[in-house]
Amino acid sequence: MCWYHWIAISSLIFSVALFSYQFARLVILGRPHDLSVSSGNVTKGIVYSFTKAMAPGAKESAYLHMPTYAGGIIYHLGTFLSLVLFFVLITGFPPLNYSLKSIFSVLLFISFFAGFAILMKRIINKDLKSLSGLDDYISNGVTSLVQLFTAVYLLVPDTETFYYLSVALFFIWLPLGKTKHLLVFFFARYHLGFFYGWRGTWPQKSE
Amino acid sequence: MATLEVGGKVFDVDGDGFLTDPSVWNDEVATMFARLDGIEELTEKHWAIVRIIRNNFEEKGNAPMIRFICQETGLKLREIYELFPLGPARGACRVAGLPKPDGCV
Amino acid sequence: MQKIDKVKRDKALELLKSGSDSKLLTHLNACVRCGLCSGSCMFYIAHKQSKYIPAKKVDLVSSVYRRYCTSMGKIAPALVNAKDLDDSMAEEMVDLLFGSCTMCGRCVKHCSIGVDIAYIVRKGREMLSAMDMVPASLQATVDSALRTGNNMAIPTEEFVDTIKWMEEELIDEMGDNNARIPLDEPDKNIFYTLNPREPKFFPLSISAIAKIFYAAGENWTISSRFYDVTNYGFFNGNKEQATVIARNLYDEIHKLRGNVLVLGECGHGTRANRWEGPNYLQKSYDFDMTTAVELIADYIRQGRIKLDRSLNKELVTIHDPCNLVRNGGLLEEIRFVVKSAADNFTEMNPHGNENFCCGGGGGMLAMSEYNDRRLKIGEIKANQIRATGAKVVITPCHNCVDQLSQLNHTYKLGIKIKTIAELVADALIIEK
Repeated sequence: MCWYHWIAISSLIFSVALFSYQFARLVILGRPHDLSVSSGNVTKGIVYSFTKAMAPGAKESAYLHMPTYAGGIIYHLGTFLSLVLFFVLITGFPPLNYSLKSIFSVLLFISFFAGFAILMKRIINKDLKSLSGLDDYISNGVTSLVQLFTAVYLLVPDTETFYYLSVALFFIWLPLGKTKHLLVFFFARYHLGFFYGWRGTWPQKSE
Repeated sequence: MATLEVGGKVFDVDGDGFLTDPSVWNDEVATMFARLDGIEELTEKHWAIVRIIRNNFEEKGNAPMIRFICQETGLKLREIYELFPLGPARGACRVAGLPKPDGCV
Repeated sequence: MQKIDKVKRDKALELLKSGSDSKLLTHLNACVRCGLCSGSCMFYIAHKQSKYIPAKKVDLVSSVYRRYCTSMGKIAPALVNAKDLDDSMAEEMVDLLFGSCTMCGRCVKHCSIGVDIAYIVRKGREMLSAMDMVPASLQATVDSALRTGNNMAIPTEEFVDTIKWMEEELIDEMGDNNARIPLDEPDKNIFYTLNPREPKFFPLSISAIAKIFYAAGENWTISSRFYDVTNYGFFNGNKEQATVIARNLYDEIHKLRGNVLVLGECGHGTRANRWEGPNYLQKSYDFDMTTAVELIADYIRQGRIKLDRSLNKELVTIHDPCNLVRNGGLLEEIRFVVKSAADNFTEMNPHGNENFCCGGGGGMLAMSEYNDRRLKIGEIKANQIRATGAKVVITPCHNCVDQLSQLNHTYKLGIKIKTIAELVADALIIEK
């Protein structure tokens, strides 16, 4: 183990600790206390919120923006692949042969470009630019960087130091910036399902 | 504050086009405001409605109930809606130079 | 002169802290500013300006939250898009949260994450209300309701005269001296409520519902003092005021010992009483609550009223009030009633939970300050209506009726706009 391994692991611990705190806080606050009389089914609403309501055909944010949506999905898959690979690479288990490494590397290059394209869109598109602040650029930056450095490290072992430092940066930022949606996303879907379920809007009926 | 230019004159109005200062109102203003709503000519029936709304406003500070307008003019409800296509509030009250009534109108 | 001093700011910030329930904390932290909500918002579609993106509205509130309620926002605000709540921020909030959002919630359903954008906008309005920054015209409507018990300040005797007048018309039309519009009668099954614009300017919907109650043989009453179903306290963001207004109906139905509070055809009024009311008053209601739409649907299902659809021959379409459908779950009930009462029916595109707001929601119709924007976003609805070819638009919300009437005139649609009660009353078969 080298110093940069320790930095990466410490950052991971920082990230997990902060997320655990945020998670506990949201859970302890509990479900909404609504005194009105429900005309629906909250459980079904929440299930719907995580399933059919998430289908690309159910959301304009998906079907009106197919290229961005597709890019976003690839980008997110790349992020999760990077996370898995971090544990594989730092533990050396399971061992990866050269062809597997090449495949992962190619996939991560693709997802990196998807993330980069989204970053470019944020800079070029006047609407998005007006919405954006440092958090948006940093969040995209560190996430894209991890994917890029993972892709490079898989093929060029000499870049190990850069790889672990990028991972460390990523872990530190993850619970601080908007990247915390890794956790909050699930609570948002829950609350939305609760809201629409309570009033009988979800599950969406025949129409 | 918004302004409304009609017939070569400029009026201070609220965002909905109701007169800000009801005291600048006169018959000529009523005629001009009516034209904006597509009422080319104010007939006797129009005037009867406008006068009742105006008098009520000057006495009590608000628009009269539609019941009072019907009772005083002898007009049917539906006639009033036909005479002022925007209705008694956004149509007739505006022509009569009142401020916009509160609520869902 | 500085508008916001420390006292005001603290009052506003308290709303972000003390009310920290899981829902609030979640939605304040969930937006990733992907901006994909832009195409779901009428204001953005109609004006094509960046400031109207729903995420921008969320960001105003959440950036203030980050600045004052998170460690990162206190230490390094620029890094996490945290912003001061100063005069310019507050003015931007007024412009966007009051003046550019009907809280229709269309963007919520389409959000890539699931942020309850309308809920955050409402929280922002609460903050502005705490800082005395509610637009004057909107506050005037709330003040009328607080002062007189109804939002148009109708004196009781004038209200009573109007109801008596409608009752005489009903007796004439039914040819029955027992046809009634009962006022202030205790121990009735149904305690009915109205939007004050009905007695003031548009009483035909009162005679329509009275006709339906007559046909169904219902046991009902209206209070002459507290009949107002609206609650603009839901829009101005002042919970104390909203609570006072909601309590009017709560107390009155107890006084008259009614069984069921029937909410007249009003979108936000239904929401403010049915869904928010018990939470404003912090108690479960000990009487049932339903809407005129559901009540009429029950009459039809139970055979208590009989309808002849051929009496409504013209092509009709439905405008779905946001607070009744997307935010109220009445999608199917409305369609059931309309299809039972009209021969020719067509849907708008999009409709139901996907519908566009009429443009007058969220208190927009009361705020003269933003009239131009309201008519501009209404063009989307006008075009939708025109595309259906319908001659009649049915909507169970008086606020929508008024906006649609103005759209009808502005965009020369040549349509009639009716409430559900008016449509059903026209199709009633009265058995003598």
